[in-house]
Amino acid sequence: MAEIGHGGKEIVERILEPTEAAEKIKGLTAIPIRSQIANEVIDLAYGFFTPLEGFMGKEDLDSVCKKMRLADGTIWSIPILFDLSEQEIADYGIKVGDTVLLTYQNNPMAIFEISEIYDYDKRAMCQAVFGTDEEKHPGCARTYAYKDKFLAGKITLVNRPKINPPFDPYFLPPLEMRRKFKEKGWVRIVAHQTRNVPHTGHEWLMKGAWFQTYAELPIEKPLVGVLVNAIIGEKRKGDYIDEAIILCQDQLRKSGYFGDHNHLTSLTFWDMRYAGPREAVFHAILRTNLGLTHHMYGRDHAGVGTYYGPYDAHRLLATVQDEINITPVYSMNWLYCPHCAEITSEGLCNHRDEWQKFSGTVIRSIVQDGVKPPRLIFRPEVFDLVMECAEKYGFGSPFVTDEYLEKRTPVFTIPPLSA
Amino acid sequence: MAEEKYPINIWVNEERFEKLQKAGLADMCEEMLAGLKVIRVYCNEAQKDKILKTFPTAKFDSATTKSIELLPREVKDKIFDKIVEKQSIDIMDDFLSQY
Repeated sequence: MAEIGHGGKEIVERILEPTEAAEKIKGLTAIPIRSQIANEVIDLAYGFFTPLEGFMGKEDLDSVCKKMRLADGTIWSIPILFDLSEQEIADYGIKVGDTVLLTYQNNPMAIFEISEIYDYDKRAMCQAVFGTDEEKHPGCARTYAYKDKFLAGKITLVNRPKINPPFDPYFLPPLEMRRKFKEKGWVRIVAHQTRNVPHTGHEWLMKGAWFQTYAELPIEKPLVGVLVNAIIGEKRKGDYIDEAIILCQDQLRKSGYFGDHNHLTSLTFWDMRYAGPREAVFHAILRTNLGLTHHMYGRDHAGVGTYYGPYDAHRLLATVQDEINITPVYSMNWLYCPHCAEITSEGLCNHRDEWQKFSGTVIRSIVQDGVKPPRLIFRPEVFDLVMECAEKYGFGSPFVTDEYLEKRTPVFTIPPLSA
Repeated sequence: MAEEKYPINIWVNEERFEKLQKAGLADMCEEMLAGLKVIRVYCNEAQKDKILKTFPTAKFDSATTKSIELLPREVKDKIFDKIVEKQSIDIMDDFLSQY
């Protein structure tokens, strides 16, 4: 039976088998790509970005900017673009109608059928997508860093990425993920978007969302799961290392704070744009394609600095609710109340003067100071694993350092093509 | 209107607590988050801006705690040592004068 993704379109993996791939790439001009583009090639080929089959053309881009829709009217909020400089286009001798080979880590990755070469006003793009054209906004900075020409066209993977340990069990593309949900018997699945090692505030966000999602369903057998979907993309110094994020999220299940019957950890390759409300819509689309039915949104989802109001994303989602096939689950903050002596929701507890709020940033600060946080705030199994990851993967630090950026094992590698 | 104050949380690990005890300053610690010991050093707006500029890894948690976080540990050690030396948490001017 066909699996239907966002926009009512069937999810199709655009991936060639090795023998066919070896034949198809013969004689093609090879163009090396950077990590952001490689991530998006994977997303396009495996159907994470359904209904997109390739990088956007000008008509789609313009419509996404101005109407938050593809040219055919399907809701889409973030441009997915392939850029080259005019000089590179001339040097490679590329023209519309050509098919080229995209390479990553010096190995063949995907075929790119070029249907259009165009330019677009980056400042206007920033204003439309991010609501600002300030260069200090990280999404704008990424947009301004695009070269001056955009190329559109379909993508077909010729070489599956090898997901390296310890990430390999966590890469579950849409079709595989949907099979997994069926095996588990879950009828509702709520997404937890993360780029963090979980503290108990996150744990309770998930638990609260699980309760909200369960709602009127019968409770004789487990029917609802939480999917932790960690975003793996470009790292900044001071972030938690990727290994700590993914393994510690899963540790909550392994240590019994959740179980196999209600919790699953996975990853998606994506370089965050920090587009706030528009990124919230994008996450809804991504998780619809993964087969989720519900999506958690807290305050200032995918925002940065003070660019967006805490509930702007909720308001934008409400405007497209009828056209996205996922139900938003809005979450209030969880905090520590010394009077209750527990983690509680700001929507429940009324000891307001005693509340002690904490955030991922505060927990990082505590860990950085060499202090083990109490188990009510940060699970000891998670803390121990963070420290283990620091030794095993982080060159002594659980946070990204220059050494980590230089020497880490990549999350995925593109192997030589074996026909 | 009272000037806004922004805390730097110096989380007190065993090593720091031992130094505080030796200096007879253990009472300086507050207890937060289910039993964590912390000394809170307050900055005014100008001091906050200088901290964030001088130490680029530092972050002002504007959304949740309104505190200055992620100062490198060695910087916090220097602030902590200054607290012990002056036996006071009113040390930010003195501390920042080095930068």
